[in-house]
Amino acid sequence: MTIEFWQAALIGVFYYLSQTGSLFFGCIGSLSILYKPLVAGTIVGFILGDPVSGCIIGAAIQLPYIAFISAGGSQPMDPGLAGYVGTAWAMVAGVSPAAAVTIALPLGLLGTMIWIAHMTLDVTFVHMADKAAEKGDLDKICFLHVWPPQILLFFLSVIPATIAVYYGADAVADIIASLSSTPLHVLEVIGGLLPALGIAMNLRAIGRTGTIPFFILGFIFIIYFKLPITAVAVIAAIIAFFYTQLSHPAEEALASAGDSTEEEDF
Amino acid sequence: MIEQKSLSKKDLVIAYWRWILFSNCNYNYERLMATAVVFSFKNVFKKLYGDNKVEYKAALKRHMQFFNTEPHFGSIIHGIVLAMEEQRAQGKPVTDEAINGIKTGLMGPFAGIGDTLWQGTLTPILLAFGLSMGSQGNLMGPLVYSVLMACIMFPIGYMCFMKGYGLGREGIEKVLGGNQIKKVITGASCMGAVVLGALAAQFVTVSCPQTIQMGALSMGMQKEVFDKLFLGILPLGATLLTLYMLKNRQMKPTLVTGIMVLVGMVGGVFWIL
Repeated sequence: MTIEFWQAALIGVFYYLSQTGSLFFGCIGSLSILYKPLVAGTIVGFILGDPVSGCIIGAAIQLPYIAFISAGGSQPMDPGLAGYVGTAWAMVAGVSPAAAVTIALPLGLLGTMIWIAHMTLDVTFVHMADKAAEKGDLDKICFLHVWPPQILLFFLSVIPATIAVYYGADAVADIIASLSSTPLHVLEVIGGLLPALGIAMNLRAIGRTGTIPFFILGFIFIIYFKLPITAVAVIAAIIAFFYTQLSHPAEEALASAGDSTEEEDF
Repeated sequence: MIEQKSLSKKDLVIAYWRWILFSNCNYNYERLMATAVVFSFKNVFKKLYGDNKVEYKAALKRHMQFFNTEPHFGSIIHGIVLAMEEQRAQGKPVTDEAINGIKTGLMGPFAGIGDTLWQGTLTPILLAFGLSMGSQGNLMGPLVYSVLMACIMFPIGYMCFMKGYGLGREGIEKVLGGNQIKKVITGASCMGAVVLGALAAQFVTVSCPQTIQMGALSMGMQKEVFDKLFLGILPLGATLLTLYMLKNRQMKPTLVTGIMVLVGMVGGVFWIL
């Protein structure tokens, strides 16, 4: 399979649309939908004329990023680049979905540079917006909020992704063919570790102490009881309900006692 | 005479969509979502302060402050703030400090709740569902995932926004006084932690392929030692260690990624992992 330039460019444009805060339906359309390798792989499959293969490869690439989280302005991995460029490379090289995960892994690590670049450069537009606020020019702030950062992000994301897909695919196919088992094993090990980062970042985002016992409980539900994840979620909701009732007892009783300032001190 | 300037339902709906669709357009390291807040309140500012140049400028500067939260659950803050701005425009004594206090006081907790429920709980569950179909080449997998995500999150954002506006009108004391918000935080963090534990068990894979030779007896480290000790002890340990580095040692996620790559390389090359 060879990739035409228009196909590479179209993949690049979708990669832009998948960026957090692109003009594609906010964070839900971008970060939550297009940025997921499962969705990205399917889109690349459609562009390259084989959506089913794209979907299977995308599903495989999704695994290390299952609990990926973007929080507090930090995005330590780039599942989007792994999904779009990784699927394209894997389809051209004709590799198995398992090998596709390892091809995509370095991309997921490199892609964070794009995030850091636009998060840094966007500061310029905030300073311009400050000047507009001094003058009371709301329309200018609105313009500065959308167009300059988005045009910047468009070029920052489309150009590397397009070049990587168009020129990288054949080279990667050659490299994959020549790789011995140890480098592939190394990438597999890293791929197995990476979900831990997303999960730990999520746990940190919770920001409360005393969550570890609940975390270990969820772990045991799967490892020892082999429950499906949806069942765990329902049990989790029930546990959360009772735990909340116990740790914040009878708000009404406290309110009627007229002592609302010290309700947490017990 | 003080003119009664009030916001219509339409003003609120416009502000909601301007926020939810453009919240991260100018996301940046210095003030994160600051310009997004001003952008989303455009029609509100014009209506409330359009005839008062001083207040108008003050409002723009007031909201150019650092702001960062999870956009969907956090939109409750926008609802509350809109109610406060409305009261201020009607001549009630709502100070800059009160408005900024609400924003900075609530953005952290709601980022916590929102990220836990959205990125930590809902997203992985829907993804696991989509993956079960997608990995078989069933295109319904990514489609169902995307449709469910949009159909759940947009209404949640809308409800939080309107709920916040209602709370803001009833009075800020009520928002901060009751332990409603604390209850929600406790419940969300508890549920999120259980689901994250399940995800760690399913998706973090660490194992030790080494075997130890003891005379004629060869012992597989994974099967004979680690699995006997506690099933999944390596993935659980790896996840908790990562949490320790992030939370207790305050390491940047990028640095932790670097450490993981290094550990993976060393462990992989020597076939320890």
